[in-house]
Amino acid sequence: MKKTLEVINELKKERLIKDYAIGGAIGVMKWVEPFFTRDLDIFVIPIQQMTKKQIISFLPVYNYLKNKGYNKWIGQWLIIEGVSVEFLPAEGLAKESVKNAVEVEFENVKIKVMTPEYLIALLLIAGRDKDIRKIEMLLNQTDVDMNRLMKILTKYNLTEKFEKIR
Amino acid sequence: MKILIKDNEVITLEELYRRKEKTRKEMAKLPFEEKIRQLVKLQKLAHGWGNKKDVIIWKVS
Repeated sequence: MKKTLEVINELKKERLIKDYAIGGAIGVMKWVEPFFTRDLDIFVIPIQQMTKKQIISFLPVYNYLKNKGYNKWIGQWLIIEGVSVEFLPAEGLAKESVKNAVEVEFENVKIKVMTPEYLIALLLIAGRDKDIRKIEMLLNQTDVDMNRLMKILTKYNLTEKFEKIR
Repeated sequence: MKILIKDNEVITLEELYRRKEKTRKEMAKLPFEEKIRQLVKLQKLAHGWGNKKDVIIWKVS
């Protein structure tokens, strides 16, 4: 895992990506009790500007990783140092989540993880049962800045959705 | 409803749930590294006992 994170940090250092943050289940797990998950979701702000019609290519990233020997795919996951990783383009709320992510350390490797407030907003959009359970865990097990959360939810028209699950 | 737990202590079901929630909050404060180690244990459990052979067991130091 440590090596995986070091490799992901290299992508930013080599300017193959503008920025990244850990989201998804592992992002949530930073703030709550451990639970089962299969993959490490990395939300990426690409170097290229994103427009709605444009196809986002992670090809430079994949080629760089391939040259380093990371070429094993299982389903949608690229295996980096034994960890199943998925790269997701960050746009809109996800992009803002990456920009506002906090820096934490994992075995002395500096990484960025999304905050509970942004994770809740992103989970609300996904809206599956397992996403709602993660929202409940975040609300019950960690400090959530409710003012900040409500600002984010209002900005992205998610307040109604949030009120329904509370 | 009351139940008997360790050390012959009798508690209510509500108390049991309250304690469980407290434990969860304590586990939420574990270091990130420890949480990932526990996740790997869960992945091993799913792969072996749960017979989910498609589960990838992560490498951790």
